Amino acid sequence: MEFAKRQTATQSQKLMIFVLSMALYGLATLFTELIPSFQAGIVEFSVEFFLFIPLSLAMLFDPLSAALGAATGELVFSEIMLGQFGGLGELEKFLTVTIGVYLAGRMVSDPRNRRMVGIAAFTGTGLQLLMSMLVDIFKVQFAVEDFEAVAGLPESVFATEGFAFLNDLLFSGVLFCLLPTLYLVPKLYGKIEPLLGMRPRDGKTGFGGVNVKIVVGACVAFAAAAGAELLATSGISLFEWEAGWAGSSTALAVGMVAAAVIVVIALLVLKARAEKGETVQK
Amino acid sequence: MKTKKKLSETIYDKFSIDFLRNQVLKNAYGNDDTVIAKLDPRILLVWYLFIGLVPWFVDDIWFLMACFLLVMVTTKLARVAGLVLLLFVVGVFTQTGYLFVVSLFFGGDASTVIPLLILTLKVATCSLASITVFSGLDPDRLSNGLMWYGCPERLSFSISYAYRILPMLMEEFQNILLSYRLRGNPPASGTLVGNVRYLCYQVNIVMHSFYPLMLNTAKRSRTTVEALEIKGYRYAAVNREVKKMKLSTLKVTYTDLLFLAVSFLWIALSVLASALF
Repeated sequence: MEFAKRQTATQSQKLMIFVLSMALYGLATLFTELIPSFQAGIVEFSVEFFLFIPLSLAMLFDPLSAALGAATGELVFSEIMLGQFGGLGELEKFLTVTIGVYLAGRMVSDPRNRRMVGIAAFTGTGLQLLMSMLVDIFKVQFAVEDFEAVAGLPESVFATEGFAFLNDLLFSGVLFCLLPTLYLVPKLYGKIEPLLGMRPRDGKTGFGGVNVKIVVGACVAFAAAAGAELLATSGISLFEWEAGWAGSSTALAVGMVAAAVIVVIALLVLKARAEKGETVQK
Repeated sequence: MKTKKKLSETIYDKFSIDFLRNQVLKNAYGNDDTVIAKLDPRILLVWYLFIGLVPWFVDDIWFLMACFLLVMVTTKLARVAGLVLLLFVVGVFTQTGYLFVVSLFFGGDASTVIPLLILTLKVATCSLASITVFSGLDPDRLSNGLMWYGCPERLSFSISYAYRILPMLMEEFQNILLSYRLRGNPPASGTLVGNVRYLCYQVNIVMHSFYPLMLNTAKRSRTTVEALEIKGYRYAAVNREVKKMKLSTLKVTYTDLLFLAVSFLWIALSVLASALF
C-alpha cells in the first residue's frame, strides 16, 4: 500500500479538510447563485464559480477530502438550501466537480512550484467545464422528443454549449480560478496547515503525480456522471411503454382513478376515526 | 421615471448580505408550521422521486400540466421564501428563452417553441418539486429522512452543519469585506474606464478577503471536528444503534398517506384525461 504510506492526514484531519472545503465553497457558490450575471454583447460575464477555493485547498491538503467537501458544499448550500435541487443533474455536477478538483490536487506535488499550480488549476477547471458541457448536451438531446427533427435546435444547442464552455474557460477560468489560485496557494502555504495540525506538503510528503489508475478512476466517475443523465436512454423505452399504455386502455386509467378515490376516502375515514379515538382517550 | 428609480432603489436595498442571510434563514427555519413541513420526510422524498423523475420521460401534455399544477399547489402550501421563487423564475425563463433566441439564428421558427415549452414545463416541474421538498422541510427532518434511506451520514451532517454555520460565515465574510473597503482607496468611477477599474477593484477585494476567511474557517473547522471527536462522532456515525435512536422520531401518519393518495388521484385523473382526449 504505497498510497497509504504516503498519506499524511489522519481520519479526523480529513474530516477537518472536508468541513473546511465544504463551508467555504458552499458560501461562495451561494453568492454565485445569487449574484446576477450581466451581458456585454454576446459575452456573458458571470461570476461562474469560485472554484479557486477547493482548488487551492486540494493543492495544499488531501485532495480527495477537499474535492468531496467542495462538491458536498455546493450540493448542500446552493442546491438544497435554496431549494434548487435538480435531482439526477446534481449527481453529475457533484462528480464533475470532484473529478476536476481531485485531479488538480493530485497534479501538484509541491505547492511552492508556481508553474505547476497554474497548470493544475487551469486543467482542473477545464476538465470540470468540459465534462459538464458534454453532459448538458446529452441532457437536452434526451429531454426533447425528436431532437433532430426540431428545426435549428441541435446546432443551437451545440453552439450555445460550446460557446458557454469557451466563455467560462477563458473568463471564469482565468479570472476566478487561475489568478486567485496563484495568489492564494503560495500565500496560504505553511500558514494554514499548522491550523489543522498538519505538516505542509512538499515534494516528499506529496501524493505522487497523476498515474494511470487515477485517470481510469476519473473516467469511470465521468461515466457514472454521464450515466446519471443517460438514464434517459432507458427512459426513452420507458416513455414508449408508458405512452402506449396510457393511450390504449381508458379502462386502466378509470381503474386508477377509482382506486385512488377509494384510497383517499378510506384514509379520510381512518384519519377521522383516529382523531376521534385520540379525543376519547384524552 | 420616478417609479423606475424607486424600483431600482428597492432592488438595491434588498440585495444586501443581511437580506440574503435573512431570506436563507427564513427559508430554512421560518416555516415549520406548514402542511408540507409536518409531513413525514420519507414520504415526501418518495413523492419527490416520482415527481422529479417521471416528467423527464413522459411527453404527454396533460400529464405534464397536471404535475406542474400539483407542484405549484405544494409550493404554495410550503410557503417558500420569495427570493427562492424569484431565482427559480429567472433561472427557468432565461435558460429556455436564450435557447430559443439562439435556435432562431440557426433557422428555427415558431415550431421550435412547442418542444421548448415542453422542456420548460419539465424543468419547472422538477425544480418546483425540489423547492417544495427541500425548502419546505426543516433541515433536521430532511437529513433524518435522507439518513433513513441510507444516505451517508456525512451528507446529513453536512446539511445540519451548513444551516448552522452559514449565518456566521456570511457575517464574517461581510466584516472582512468591510474592513478591506475601509482600508482601501477605490478608483474613481463614473466614466467607462473608471467603472471597469472600479469593478476590477471590487472583484479583487472579494478574492483577497477569502484569504483571511480561509484561515479563520480552518481554525473553526478544527474546533468543530475536535468537538465532534470528543463526542465519538466517527464511531456513532456508523453505529446501527445510534442511527436507530436518531430515527425513532420519524412516524408515518394518516396525513402522510392522504397526501400521497391525493397526489396519486390527481395524476391518475390526468392519465384518464389524456386517454379520453
